[in-house]
Amino acid sequence: MKEFYKNISDALSMLDGLEQDLNIRHFSPNELKVFYTIIIRAAHNEHGSNITDIVENSGMSRSTVYKTLKKLSLEKIINLHQSEEDGRESIIVLNS
Amino acid sequence: MKNFLSLSLTSFLFSSVLWVLWHFIDTHVLFLAGKGGLFYLPHAARVICVVYFGWKAMPALYFGELIGPYVINPGMYPFSILIPSLISVISVPLSLALLNALGFSLGQTRASPLNKRNYKHILLITFISAGFNALLVNLYLSRNNLSFSNAITDIEQVSAFLIGDILGAIIVFILLAYLLKPVIRQARNQ
Repeated sequence: MKEFYKNISDALSMLDGLEQDLNIRHFSPNELKVFYTIIIRAAHNEHGSNITDIVENSGMSRSTVYKTLKKLSLEKIINLHQSEEDGRESIIVLNS
Repeated sequence: MKNFLSLSLTSFLFSSVLWVLWHFIDTHVLFLAGKGGLFYLPHAARVICVVYFGWKAMPALYFGELIGPYVINPGMYPFSILIPSLISVISVPLSLALLNALGFSLGQTRASPLNKRNYKHILLITFISAGFNALLVNLYLSRNNLSFSNAITDIEQVSAFLIGDILGAIIVFILLAYLLKPVIRQARNQ
C-alpha cells in the first residue's frame, strides 16, 4: 500500500509543477472553460482564433470571455492582436 | 497483492470514467458533438497509470478501454476493438521502452533522465505514445480493411488520432491539476 501512495504522490508532484508553470491556480471554472476552448481552437487554426469563435465554442457569454481574455493576456498566457481582415475583431494567440 | 488491487481498481476507474466523460461530451455537448476525436480524454489514463503504476496497471487499463464500447454503448464501433484497444494500451510501455533504449530511463529524482515528477517529461511520453497509438492502430485497421463509420483509414485519420490523444491528455492533466489543488497543496505542505 505504501508503494501505491508513493506513486500517487509522484503524480501529484507532476501536477503541481504543471499548475505552477501554467499559473492557473486562481482561475474559476468558467475561466478554465474559456482557456480550454482556446487550446482546442488552437489545434484547428495555428494562426489563432477570434473572440467570436471562442464565444461560440465555449458556450460562455461575450462579457465572461472578454474578462477572461483580458486576465489571460495580462498574465501573458495569450496574446491579443487586431485582425487584419476585420479591424473590430481581435485574434487570440497562445504564448508558447 | 493489496497494492496490485488498489492500482488496478484506480486504473480501471480512471480509464472508464474518462471514457464515459469523453463519450458524453462527444454525443451530448452541442458545440463539441461529433468532434470527440479531437480530444480523446482516456489517453491520459493510459499515460498516467502506466508511468506511475508500471506494467501492472495494463490489465485494468485494458478492461477500462473495453467497458465503454462493449457495455455502455455496444455497437459504437463497426468492428471488434479487442486488438486496437490492446495496441492503444501497449503504446505507452512501447514509448517508455523506446526512450529507455535511447538512454532516457524513467525515475523519480532530478538525476533521472526521465523524471516522473516533471510534467514536461510526462508530456514527452504522451507525444511519443500518441504517435505509436496513431500509427499502430491505423496500421492494424488498414491491414484488416476495417474503418470507422463515415471515415477512411488514411493519413488524416492518423493525424486525428495523434492530435486527439495529445490534446485529450493535456486537457485531463490541466483539469486534474485544477481539481486536485487542495490535495496538492496539502501534499506540498507536509
